[in-house]
Amino acid sequence: MAFTSVIPPLLPKVDAILVLDGEGNRLAGKYYGDFLTSTTSSSSRAAMSTGDDSKPASANVTVEDLRASFERQLQAKIQGIAARSDAAEVVTVMGKTAVFCGGMAMGASPSGVGGDVRVVHVGPNTESELLLAYLCEGMYDALSNLMGGQTDRNMVLDNLELVFLLIDEHCDGGVILEVDGAKLSSSVLLRDDEDMVADAGAGESAPQGAAPSTTGMRGMGNGFGMQGGDISIAQAFRQAKQQLIAGLQADGM
Amino acid sequence: MSAPMEEEEGLAGAVLKELQQVAEKFKDEDEEDAFISPYAHLEKSAVLQEARIFHDSVSVRENPRKCCTVIAQLLHLQNTGQFLSSTEATEVFFGVTKLFMSDDASLRRMVYLFIKEVAETCNPDDVIIVTSSLTKDMTCDVDLYRANALRVLARIIDSAMLGAIERYVKQAVVDSSGQVSSAALVSSIHLFDNAAENAVVVKRWIGEVQEATASPNQMVQFHAMQLLYKIKSNDRLGVSKLVQQFSTRNSLKSPLALVCLIRYASKLLHDEVAEGRLGDGYQTGSSICTIGYSFLESSLKHKSEMVIYEAARGICSLPQAQAQDINPAITVLQMFLSSPKPATRFGAMKILASISNSQPRLVAKCNEDLEALLSDPNRSIATLAITTLLKTGSENSIDRLLKQISAFLTDIADEYKITVVKSLQRLCFTYPNKHRILVGFMSNFLREEGGFEFKKTIVNSIVTLIKAVPETAESSLLHLCEFIEDCEFTMLSTQILHLLGEMGPTTSAPARYIRFIYNRVMLENSAVRAAAIASLAKFAASCPSLRASILTLLKRGMEDEDDETRDRTTLLISVLEDAMEKNPYVAPSEDEIDPENLPKDEPVAGDSAAYVLLDGMPVSFDKLRRSLEMYQNTPGAMDTADSLTFSSLPVVEDVPEETTSTHEMDDLGLGEIPSNEPIKEKVDPAAAVYAIPELASLGRAFRSSTAVPLTESETEYVVTCIKHIFESHIVLQFTVQNTIDDQRLENVTVMLEGGEDLYEITGEIPAESIKYGETANTFTVLQRNDDVPIEANAFASTLHFNVVQVDPASGEDESDAFEEEYPLEDLEISTADYMAKVSVPDFRKAWEGIGNDNEVLEKYALSFKSVEDAVTAVINLLGMQSCDGTGSVKANTGKPHMLHMSGIFIGGKAVYARAQLAMQGDSGVVLKIAVRSEDENIPRMVADCIR
Repeated sequence: MAFTSVIPPLLPKVDAILVLDGEGNRLAGKYYGDFLTSTTSSSSRAAMSTGDDSKPASANVTVEDLRASFERQLQAKIQGIAARSDAAEVVTVMGKTAVFCGGMAMGASPSGVGGDVRVVHVGPNTESELLLAYLCEGMYDALSNLMGGQTDRNMVLDNLELVFLLIDEHCDGGVILEVDGAKLSSSVLLRDDEDMVADAGAGESAPQGAAPSTTGMRGMGNGFGMQGGDISIAQAFRQAKQQLIAGLQADGM
Repeated sequence: MSAPMEEEEGLAGAVLKELQQVAEKFKDEDEEDAFISPYAHLEKSAVLQEARIFHDSVSVRENPRKCCTVIAQLLHLQNTGQFLSSTEATEVFFGVTKLFMSDDASLRRMVYLFIKEVAETCNPDDVIIVTSSLTKDMTCDVDLYRANALRVLARIIDSAMLGAIERYVKQAVVDSSGQVSSAALVSSIHLFDNAAENAVVVKRWIGEVQEATASPNQMVQFHAMQLLYKIKSNDRLGVSKLVQQFSTRNSLKSPLALVCLIRYASKLLHDEVAEGRLGDGYQTGSSICTIGYSFLESSLKHKSEMVIYEAARGICSLPQAQAQDINPAITVLQMFLSSPKPATRFGAMKILASISNSQPRLVAKCNEDLEALLSDPNRSIATLAITTLLKTGSENSIDRLLKQISAFLTDIADEYKITVVKSLQRLCFTYPNKHRILVGFMSNFLREEGGFEFKKTIVNSIVTLIKAVPETAESSLLHLCEFIEDCEFTMLSTQILHLLGEMGPTTSAPARYIRFIYNRVMLENSAVRAAAIASLAKFAASCPSLRASILTLLKRGMEDEDDETRDRTTLLISVLEDAMEKNPYVAPSEDEIDPENLPKDEPVAGDSAAYVLLDGMPVSFDKLRRSLEMYQNTPGAMDTADSLTFSSLPVVEDVPEETTSTHEMDDLGLGEIPSNEPIKEKVDPAAAVYAIPELASLGRAFRSSTAVPLTESETEYVVTCIKHIFESHIVLQFTVQNTIDDQRLENVTVMLEGGEDLYEITGEIPAESIKYGETANTFTVLQRNDDVPIEANAFASTLHFNVVQVDPASGEDESDAFEEEYPLEDLEISTADYMAKVSVPDFRKAWEGIGNDNEVLEKYALSFKSVEDAVTAVINLLGMQSCDGTGSVKANTGKPHMLHMSGIFIGGKAVYARAQLAMQGDSGVVLKIAVRSEDENIPRMVADCIR
């Protein structure tokens, strides 16, 4: 029957998870498996040999090129499309299904929530779009949590290690590990789920979070540079700056 | 009053604290001039320098934060394409291992991440050294450490070590912490895929995995489900039990796990149907099928859209599903079409689009919702909706649809337009009556803005339609003429000019195309000018009435600055002047013209211009090249003094063209994957024979059959046979493969019995020795008795050989040779083997040219269920090439099907056959066949092929 190509992969897997800024530059990302390398000719590989001595490195250069070209095509399609955090958009790029959240134009949202960064999940074209959207929305949720609601390029770049950890907690070698946004962000911040519930209550009264933690995990969490709330130094700085600018603009009007 | 005050104070405190931090930050950054992200402008060498800090135990202890940043910087380097070389990676890796000294949790977390990222680049022997640290973490009591250490270990471990830690992993699978349990399960999934030895170990944990499926944690359910299926995937019964168990027990709460289960269920159904165990339908058939189907159907009522979608897709992809099976799924998909989520709409649209290919009527009830989607902001969805509508819509709705599309098409990207044009083309096949409006619609787009690919698609569509629906020809040609008036693509212009030359002269008024073509001669670049001249040549040759005026036009082309154009013009003028002198055109006088019966404007017989300009080469260039190559390869051919003529060249058979099936992707309009497969170089199959010096005297092989298997493909000795037909001999090339690892075969031959009247075995060339896994050829030469008419013969064949037992490990002989026989399937040499599949450019001309002197007429009643089957069978029985596209049957015309075939019989005699096939009753086909040839005996032999 002609439907055979519609049969989805038996184990849901993603081919790549990308965090792109508004211009399509990859801020962080991870490709799983070899979906890009398998579709290309070896000639481009030969042409791309750099002066590097080691073999895997020169092979990697071409992989990087392929990824860059994939991302360019992806960007061409998603440019200008903004997707709400609860309604991921879908495009098809080079025969792959790509689902993404984010991509608000700078300053588009008055509340200062959101940003130009997009979270993109790439899967085989037989993978269910709904499933990919579910994953993408989960990760985007966690990302906005971690970034204090501001998912713009600078914020993400300043907190890149959180993003790396997020991707790692979200997906392990292409297999989905966790999807729930709250759980993801709490495990990136090295907190247990139970702690998080307590935190929500305690956050208001003790913003410094100076109380020594009993679990040991909390204590180490602080070593990460996270102050009691969800705000890091860099985040605080950004927010202060933005508020300042907003204030100035309001005055100028 | 006091409460808000306190709150304000608290807030103020927080703000103050924050500002202090900001100030501190500023101070720090003042030295660096501005606020710079730690990840901006990273240099690999600088970061590697920084990474030395890992070796300094004091700063590792005191400043874990700094170490974290460096690791993140290293990861960022990887991420931006500045990869570490193997030596660099190893060095950094050793540094990172020192970080296990620190107890800082976030640093440890980064270390885990780093090891995973770098493990692939480093030497595996180096990576092993962290195993002990990881194993320690894996057994500690902090969940986070355990979970992560497990995941890292799974990446670097080998099967021996897996045995050592098996106990811990097994425990972790059923750990009370969801994080640890998930990590263990996911690691097991990776281990299972990595190596077969690991898979064996993982399989032993099936009890624990089963237990984990009952975990209250949804992700654990999901991971356990995946691993359980992996373990059981080769065990059909196990899988069907798994599906039955979980689909009836209803214990899975995780939507992701349910999605998996649905996929397993539909895979199971596919397998069941493929094995022919469907019974009489999904709702009443065999128990597994009904259970599977009812699980899918009940999942349509689940509360998660993801699960519903998966179930709907599962149902829609079921093989042999009936309307009543699919309908419930279509109903939910129809609701999805108005979902606020783009992914949901897209997914539903994709399924509906693929169903509409095979069962458009089922989707027709969604037409209203589909029309609403035409304005969807997501262009992929809108395009899918259009293409689907074009399949499901009725003939009456076409006009309305086109109106909607034209508004839509102006603001979408070219690739979507291409998809729409292709669907329009298909629509025109379905409703040929609408051709005028559809072709008109397409040609409107030719005049609008668009890239090359888009324009090319339209032109190709129009050209395809001209061939398929001849009524469109005249209007389409004029549309194309208008297009080339203002066409920026040389390739399209030349293609259209060529088409005009082919089709234009046979239309009702060829003269009106001349102006368009001549304009090209005046206005275009040299390639187009040359094409236009060639096109004019076709008109002049086919229509003597136009010759004088075309000649006048051509004379102006003599001055052309381009060599090719000028050469073509000069040749054309001289040919035309010559022909006009010999056969001057006489216009029919006014009073003789009968408006009802206009004399045909065509060249007289033997017209030289028509011969030079219209008759093509007797063979195509490609065939000529292959033919010459074969000629060169024939032993001795290059030494003879005979002159080379077309008739002395080897016969080249037509290779069946690989039908480029319209890819599913096409229909979905979701971009195509370019496939650039190398063109297969055709190897002369008879080369193996030419390589044998003893057989060189036989001369050139007339044709070679495809390889016929004489055994099943999985037997001890696999034998196939290629029949090489020579003028009066047949060389049978048996290819023997030895698949027994402790045997060597020696002196291998194939003995044949039967067909004594026609054939005599005159020689054998045995294969000397065939080791395990090798293949070798043995040849048997038959001489044909020329006096006996060729007919089908079956030979009983046996493989004869000597067996030597060998030790598979060392390859040394363990026994003496002893004789052995092995029965093969019967080998058949039929009349069709003597027939080369060669097409003729013009069947009708060839058929009439050969005359009916040697014609044989026969009538047969064949038992076939359809005309299609009968046509295929007749072509195979005769071994001839179908001509004029008569090899494919047009659907349900009700008229008898005419089949034209041509071929060349041994001895280089052309053979033509015309057959008429018609259904008689339900399971009978009546075949009338006429065979003609220049040889008096051949038609009888060929006609007797039908059995």
